[in-house]
Amino acid sequence: MTLPRTLLAAAVATLLAAPAVAVLFAASAMADDSRPASLAPLGPPPVPADNPMSDEKIELGKMLFFDPILSGNAGMPCSACHLPEAGWSVPFAVSIGYPGSIHWRNSQTIINSAYYGKLFWAGASKSLEAQARSAARGAVAGNGEDDMMEARLAFVPEYRERFRDVFGDDWPNVRHAYMAIAAFERTLVQTDTPFDRYMRGEDGALSAAQKRGLALFDGKASCTTCHNGPLLTDERFYNTGVPPYDGWEDDELAQITFRFELYAKGSTEAFYRATKDDPGLYFRTKAKEHLGKFRTPSLRYTAYTAPYMHNGMLETLEDVVAFYNLGGGENEFAETKTSLIQPLGLSQTEMDDLVAFLESLSGEEILMEEPELPEMEPLPLAARD
Amino acid sequence: MIRIVGLIVVGVLGLSVAASAALADAGGAIAPKEAPPALAELGKRLFYDERLSGDTSLACASCHQPEFAFTDGEALSAAYTGAGHFRNTPTLANAGHRAAWMHDGRLGTNLNDVTREMITETYLMNMDMRLMQERMKQDPVYVEMFGAAGLGEPSNGGARKALAAFVGTIVSRGAAIDSGTMSSAAGRGALLFEGRAGCAQCHTGARFTDDSPHNTGVPDNPEIWADPERHSAFVTYAKFMGVENYMNLREDLGAYVRSHRDEDRRSFLTPTLRELAWTAPYMHNGVFGTLDEVVDFYDAGGGDDPLKDARLKPLGLVPSEKADLIAFLGALSGESFDTDEYVWRADDYDYVLIENWRNEPN
Repeated sequence: MTLPRTLLAAAVATLLAAPAVAVLFAASAMADDSRPASLAPLGPPPVPADNPMSDEKIELGKMLFFDPILSGNAGMPCSACHLPEAGWSVPFAVSIGYPGSIHWRNSQTIINSAYYGKLFWAGASKSLEAQARSAARGAVAGNGEDDMMEARLAFVPEYRERFRDVFGDDWPNVRHAYMAIAAFERTLVQTDTPFDRYMRGEDGALSAAQKRGLALFDGKASCTTCHNGPLLTDERFYNTGVPPYDGWEDDELAQITFRFELYAKGSTEAFYRATKDDPGLYFRTKAKEHLGKFRTPSLRYTAYTAPYMHNGMLETLEDVVAFYNLGGGENEFAETKTSLIQPLGLSQTEMDDLVAFLESLSGEEILMEEPELPEMEPLPLAARD
Repeated sequence: MIRIVGLIVVGVLGLSVAASAALADAGGAIAPKEAPPALAELGKRLFYDERLSGDTSLACASCHQPEFAFTDGEALSAAYTGAGHFRNTPTLANAGHRAAWMHDGRLGTNLNDVTREMITETYLMNMDMRLMQERMKQDPVYVEMFGAAGLGEPSNGGARKALAAFVGTIVSRGAAIDSGTMSSAAGRGALLFEGRAGCAQCHTGARFTDDSPHNTGVPDNPEIWADPERHSAFVTYAKFMGVENYMNLREDLGAYVRSHRDEDRRSFLTPTLRELAWTAPYMHNGVFGTLDEVVDFYDAGGGDDPLKDARLKPLGLVPSEKADLIAFLGALSGESFDTDEYVWRADDYDYVLIENWRNEPN
């Protein structure tokens, strides 16, 4: 085992100047090599028994992920709002949305989405398969209709062949398209971040600052109360007081979409008239105690997915740490804000260490070439032979 | 009624009373449907608003263009982005008086339902009407116009009412048959129309249609099957209508989709003959570019279809008779609809930011 470069440099320095000894001592005293029981390295993703993986299915799913055929206007593929070069998300506060509209929540990364039991910010979907379908059909997302998207798939000779090979379809079944996309997404995982390597025993995988950050993460800053386990999320719902999306104050399209969501997700008239922030989990349960609550997100791959929070209102990881250091924020749903969030009293150095640790949750950027996409062609009568 | 009989008397000597009966039912000029002016005015603005489609690319007027008597001049209609239509855009002239809508007659209730179908259908305007409502509410002109029309704040139901009211105002004006200025050729054509050519068996009443489906053997338009965007829209439609074996269909089944009776295969609603001068090409799939072709088609006894209406027989018309028939058809077209009465001229389709948003009720 080779010495980490920083240690080596420090050792050389001790030969040159006595004060360096104190620095080295201080650093190693604060950054012990403990591993909190509340966290774990990330293993392989779960695969549902009814959608087993195969190379052919994954390849088909990759094509469909990038293919605009699965949308209302044949122009909005999954990748329109999950851009590989933007962390498989969108580099704006809220997602792009269907032409003529803007979305209302932050686009979440696809990376490691395979591990979630609850997809979307309020956990509206229970599987990647269901998430893909909802996103393809939502009026401010894909605005597609299953019958039409399915019909289009049948006009692509290569899809006819691939759906038959993978699923045994006489004609491509759009439900199978969502299954293939989910299978592809289950390959978009990252299990070898510095954090994972450290948790598997590689002491040198984290810097001293990152180790101090880890200790804070599990200690003084209490992050692991919610951000725990291998995915660094408990997948429970909290209101941490994230401020409302600022576009509602100055963007006409955002005002339209916000009211649309209130209307479409089912509101009483009084609730529709008066609500001025995203009710989150409330939309699913209609229970007042769920107002403004969102599922704890994973913190993995966050080096590439700024801005942050369900509405993108925090621009950098530094902003996020500063937000929690102040005990979270304020929004319209003060009565549901979690008591778990309290001012932390972190020093600037401690906040820097926390950010350094958060950066260890991202490995190399995952990029890929978009696949070449087949086109719709006239359908010969003998297409099935 | 009397006036039309009179016109025919003027045009042709030797008028047979029996032969005039069906035409006499035509009854003259068509009245607009009654609607409060503020409601119809709102409908007029909505009709030209592209924000009524999902991706804000299509208005009603994109396919129902006033300069073509609210058709689009194409054999097959355009459709929503990424799709193509498999039928010809019908005129909206006098559409408020129809008993059924769509070439297959699958909508038999009222214009309000037709409006909803057009706006929400995935290959037409692909609009989630809940989002449409919120778009309208972001436009102060609509907020004012909905109020003036007594509809309260902008709503989907209100928009449909207004659009139906506007469409109800679209009626033929100044056609020779209504104004008593038919030429003598047209008068001779009228007699043929009602008599030997047999047209009036289906093309009856003031709008010259019985609003019922018939199979006349109109040839296929191969462009539907050659264009995947049209064909995939057709598959979507056929699947939704519960048609069996839709992937292998290469024919438009017309009214069969609502009856599912074999004898209704490839039958289509008799179209109005009003405003034909503006609405080429013709037939449910636009296969005929001119009225000459249409008249030749019926002169030959219609097309080739085992389910063809038995009343269609070769007519043996001579060229002058065909010319007379076409002259008569010409007398059924009136003035252009490209007028201020029917066109929203202002380019005022803007969203406006709601200031002080936090304190304004949604």
